[in-house]
This record gives sequence, C-alpha cells and structure tokens, in this order.
Amino acid sequence: MDTPMSHSEYEELAAGYVLGALEPDDEHVFQQHLGGCAVCEANVRELEAVVGELAYAVPPVDPPDTLWAGIRREIRPEAARRGALPQAAPGPGGRGPRLMQGLVAAAAILLVVVLSLWNLNLRDENAVYRDRVAALERATQLANDPNASLINLDEQAGPGAAQATVIASSLKDRGVLLVENLPPLQRNRVYELWGVPEGDFGRAEKALVFVPLRPGIQTLEFKVPIQPGTVFAVTDEPGPDGSPKPTTKPLLTGRPATA
Amino acid sequence: MRGKAYRGLRDSQLVELVAQKDAGALEALYDRYGRAAYSLARRILTEETLAQDVVQEVFLSLWRDARRFDAGRGTVATYLLSMTHHRAVDVVRREENLRRWRTSEEGLELEPDPKARVEDEVEASERRAEVRAALGELPAAQREALLLAYFGGYTQREVAALVGVPLGTVKTRMAAGMRKLKAALQDAGTEELPWTRQ
Repeated sequence: MDTPMSHSEYEELAAGYVLGALEPDDEHVFQQHLGGCAVCEANVRELEAVVGELAYAVPPVDPPDTLWAGIRREIRPEAARRGALPQAAPGPGGRGPRLMQGLVAAAAILLVVVLSLWNLNLRDENAVYRDRVAALERATQLANDPNASLINLDEQAGPGAAQATVIASSLKDRGVLLVENLPPLQRNRVYELWGVPEGDFGRAEKALVFVPLRPGIQTLEFKVPIQPGTVFAVTDEPGPDGSPKPTTKPLLTGRPATA
Repeated sequence: MRGKAYRGLRDSQLVELVAQKDAGALEALYDRYGRAAYSLARRILTEETLAQDVVQEVFLSLWRDARRFDAGRGTVATYLLSMTHHRAVDVVRREENLRRWRTSEEGLELEPDPKARVEDEVEASERRAEVRAALGELPAAQREALLLAYFGGYTQREVAALVGVPLGTVKTRMAAGMRKLKAALQDAGTEELPWTRQ
C-alpha cells in the first residue's frame, strides 16, 4: 500500500474480515490496523456476533450419531485419566446407547470382510491406512444390527475403476455407502444413491446425494426404506439437490445376495 | 455426573470445566451447539463426511485448548460457530467442486423450514426467524454479497467476479449489509442481544 488508508476504509474492511472474505493483502493490512485501533476492535467484536447469528439462518440438520462418537473416542484417554468420561446417551441427534461389546466383535468381523473387498494392503503408507480404517470404523456403526447386509455395487459403465459397497440395515432403514474412484462429475452435477425396491426403478427412492471428493474411500451414511429385495444404484444427476427419480442410466448397481 | 448436573450451568462455566478436561461439560456444549454447528457445516460443505470432520475438529479444538476462549470477546456460541464457519470455509476453498454451483442466493433459502423439530421451535426457531427476517430486509445486492461470502466461502474479489461489479462495490455492499444486519438483530433481540448473551 503506497497511500495510507483512511479510517472509513478500514471500517469498510471490517465486514469482509469477520466474514473471512478479505483478500490476503487486505487482511494483512486490516490485522495490522486492528492491533492499535480500539474502535475497529470493538466493531469487529460486534460484527463477529452478527456473523455468529447468521449460522442460525440455516435450517437445522441433526448430526449423525457417529459425530459425537468420534469426538468421544478422541477425548477418551484424557477424560478417563480425569475419571469423567460421559456415557453414550441420547443427545441432539438422537444418539442412542451402544452395545460396545457387540460392536467391537461385529466390527472385527466386518473389518475383515470389507478389508478383503477393498483389497487393502496393510503395508500401505500410514496415512492411507489410517484413512481407510477411519472410514471402516464409521461403517461398523451398523454392525450391531443383525439384519445388516453387505452389497457390492458393480460398475455398469465407465472405465471400471469405481468401487462401491453398501452396508444396509433393513431393521433401521439406514446404511452406509463406501465408494471410491468414481469418475469426476461435470459442472453442476452430483451423484445420487437410490434404494430401488426389487429393482423397479420406477419406485426408486432417493437415499443420498454426494460429490466425489478426496482420494480414497468416501464413507456416506444414508436413510432409505430397505427391504430384502432392495437394489442399490448410483446415478449422475443435476446438482445441487439431485433428482426425485433417476434420470440417467446407473453407473453402479448392486443387488442383495438373497434377491 | 453428566446430564442434569450440567444443564443449569452457563456456557462459560462449561468451558471452564472443559479446560479441566471434564468430558461431560464438553458433551453438554455439544448438546447445545453441535446441531447448529453441524447444520452450518453441512450448508457450506454439502458433503456429510466433511461436515462431520469440521465439527469434530471444532469441539476437539475446544477440548484441547479451552483457555483460548475469551469471554470478553464474545459468547461461547459465537466462538464455536465462528470456528465452524472458518474451518468449513477453509475446506470449501480447497474443494472447489463443493461450491461451483453456488453462484447466487442458493446458499440459503429464505422460505420457512418445514422440518423444524418440536424442541427446536422455541428459542432456535425464533432466532432463525429473526435472522432470516433481517436478511430478508436487506437490499438484494447486499444480501447476495453476504450470502456468497458466508455460505459460499467466496472472497470479496471472487464475489465481485461472480456478480460482475467492481471490488470496491462488493466491499461497500458487505459493509452496509453487515451494519443493517446488526441493527436489525439489535432491534429484534430487545432483552438478550447476541453480543451480550453468555
């Protein structure tokens, strides 16, 4: 900056600052000014409160059970040392009690099955290994359910690199999709997972809308009516919300073993 | 120890307990703000797993260093939700495909939410109505600039390019929009202003 900014120009930057929307050079200039200006400091505090309120404009979405479970898992060692480990009790997302013994046992079994599905090489680099195990941990949340079934989705079109597995609980009408190597989407497109009663696409029900992200396995939870003959399929649909019914040929489909 | 024992505590008291590694206090804060934080992260990131990662990291950050919270700077809610917003925006800027379709006010539908839960329909619902009403009263251009920045994670320069106006105009619109929003929310919250709530 060759010309010093006027105070009104600094005041104007405050809004962008609290929104995290300043360009790096503006942010640097404003931060330097902020350290020595009580007026702007007070203004920023008030605007930060306004920004905090903006969060409440969003329609509420219940967090999945796995969110608190993940936090609890991380804090467990320190909390246990202090002797104040909270129980897994119902909370804002309807968190319910966990049958930990059953979960651990079922998780071990499921882990073996899914690891073989993904052909996981345990000598992979540590980061890759950790990511995959973390993804599998989420999938094992369903392992308490004796009705959970594991369905491989086969690629119907494309280069053949995509892999997907659904772990579905007909008891809870929910499941987890594990997916990797899906082809990149065109602009304004999303992938959509469907629950298709007995393979009848006219009755397909939306389970999940997602976009492929990081390399490695994506683990995505969904809710959809699940019956013994429910087929799962992934299609490419218009974003951001997908379609009420499939509009394209499925990229991936999978049938339960008993269907 | 947990549950009722924490229910009567103020947010700032819970943070004090979290600083002493009281997991029940962290859970109580999660019960109060986990849903709002997750809803915000989902709106910004779209993708559930990333939203979970962000919110988990926010609460773990509080757990690891609760002393960083400064009650003199604002409320616990503002602290947690601001951290959620900043982290979600960091992610969305890395994951360009998450926001490429968000080029307008799609980031926030201002119609009433039909899926509000019964227990949500008291304070949170009123609060949401107030914020939405305040946003609705803004001139469209100011609202658009704020929503693109807040929910889309766009910088001011990016907003200028998207909207097709000079950068200076975007700065002015954001500043004016935030001023009006602040005034409107002050008017709405006569007894318990967001910036005085503890």
